[in-house]
Formats: sequence, C-alpha cells, structure tokens
Amino acid sequence: MSDAKATHLEHFQDLEQQAHAARLGIWIFLASELLLFAGLFALYGAYRAHYPAAFGWGVDHNVRALGTLNTAILICSSYSVAKSVHMLRRGRPRFAAGLVAFTLACGCAFLVIKGVEYATHFREGVFPGGHGSFFLGQPQGLKVFYTLYFLMTGLHGIHVVVGMGLLVWLLSRILRGQLAVPHTHPLDIGAVYWHLIDVVWIFLWPIFYLTPGTF
Amino acid sequence: MRAISERATLLTLLALLGLTALSFALSYVHLGALNIPVAIAIAAVKATLVVTVFMELAVEKFTVKVSLIMGFVFAALLIGLMVADVVTRADAPLLPPPPS
Repeated sequence: MSDAKATHLEHFQDLEQQAHAARLGIWIFLASELLLFAGLFALYGAYRAHYPAAFGWGVDHNVRALGTLNTAILICSSYSVAKSVHMLRRGRPRFAAGLVAFTLACGCAFLVIKGVEYATHFREGVFPGGHGSFFLGQPQGLKVFYTLYFLMTGLHGIHVVVGMGLLVWLLSRILRGQLAVPHTHPLDIGAVYWHLIDVVWIFLWPIFYLTPGTF
Repeated sequence: MRAISERATLLTLLALLGLTALSFALSYVHLGALNIPVAIAIAAVKATLVVTVFMELAVEKFTVKVSLIMGFVFAALLIGLMVADVVTRADAPLLPPPPS
C-alpha cells in the first residue's frame, strides 16, 4: 500500500476494524512469546530453588551497574517509541521518525553493552553449557546458572535485533510518507513488539543482576 | 479507539525510572528471604505500567485484554507449580548428570 490516504483493505469494513485486527494479531503473537519465555523463567525458578547458593554467587558475579544501565536504556527507548506513536497520530511524521531513530540508537547501545559483558565473560573463561576454565572445580549449579544466563539473555538479544529490523522498516515507511494519518497502526504494532522486549528485560534484570545470596 | 494521553506516558516513564532506582538501591540492602520476592514484585509493577500505558492495553478492546491475561495466568501457573515441586519434594528432582 503506497498511498498514505489509502482506505482499508477490502475484506475489512473500515480502517478501525483493520487496525483492531492487526493489534489483536500482535497481542496473540505476544501471548505465545510470553509462553516461550515463561518456560525459561520456570526453568530458572526450579534450578534456583535447587541450587540457591550457586545462583546467588553467579548473580553477584555479574556487573550490576551494566545491567542497570541497560535497564534504563530500554525503558527510555520504550518511552521514545510510545511517544513516536503519539506524534504520528498527531500528524507530525518527521518528529515521529526522529523518535524511532532514537529508539534504534538505544537498541544499538543496549547491544553494545551486552556485547561488552559477553566479551568479559569469555575472557574469564565463562562459556555456555558449563564450558571454560572458569568452571574448573566450581559447583554444578554455577554451570547451570551461566547456561541459563546465556540462553535467556541471548534469546532476548535476538528479539532486540529483530525489533530493530522492524523499526528500521517502519522508519523507512514513515520517511517515504507511507505511514500517516489515518493509516498509522503499523507503527503501533512495531511499538508493541518493542515494548515486549522491554517487559522481558524488566524481569531478566532482577533475576540475573539484583538478587545475590540465597533465599 | 480511545487513546492514552501523552502526559500519562511521560508520568509512566518517570515512574519506571523511579522504580528502577528503587530496585537497584534495594539490591544493596540485605532483605534475606524477601530479596527475590521484593525484586520480582517491583518488576511486576513496572511490567504492568509498560503494558497498560505504553502498550495501551488500558484502552484496548476486551478480546485483546483476555488474550494477554490468559497468557499471564498460564505463565504464573507454569512457574509457580514447577518451583513448588522442587521446593517441596523430599528428594530434589533435579539430579545433576553424571560427570563426563
């Protein structure tokens, strides 16, 4: 659809119904994503209950400041993409495009910081699956902790990359004038996906950075 | 569709950053057994704010709300029952694999 003023697709009654169908679709997709991550969180919960000391030690070994910085970055990026949705609806596409670009920059910053963390782990000999010199003589629980850490933050990182790809595509559509009032709901969809990435990190942050010690 | 106000969006940002700072500060306080529940509770409040305001669930139609709420209910059941199983068994069910 190249015309921003284009009306709804023919199998919908109006644009409002089309937008609702699109939003319902992304929410059902997000509910299935939730179950994907929930399986991993359940695994984390079970193993943490089984190896409380090793998990507490592993959390303490992660750099809390870097995890916190990444949390703040993702929250700001969530706000900027929410604001861009408002701006596009108000008929200010250039402002909206700027905010999407800022969100992309936040995504890049997040990945760079995560990359620095991974590089530090690899230098220390911490690899997924309990491989690496770091684990010599260490308890089994620590291997499980770092395997789950790499799996969950890695899966989240893949979501960040996919979300950024989606935002680049939406940004190009805004700049080409293809997304404008009243045809603005594709940006809603991209924004909702980006917020999901934020929500997942909101839970990853406390379980991998904030809760040292046993319970 | 009704819309969330831009003022509410901004206030949510401030609340989220405030809760992040609170959670970070509390992580240095020794709360013992409450350490994890408190951190998860703050995260749950933050996630609720993001979902209702940023993701505009508060003004979505009922069908959308149901799809998400059921997802959360099943996720909570999955995690809760699995952790309860490990905690309450006399012999822990998660035995490590034999060394290779």
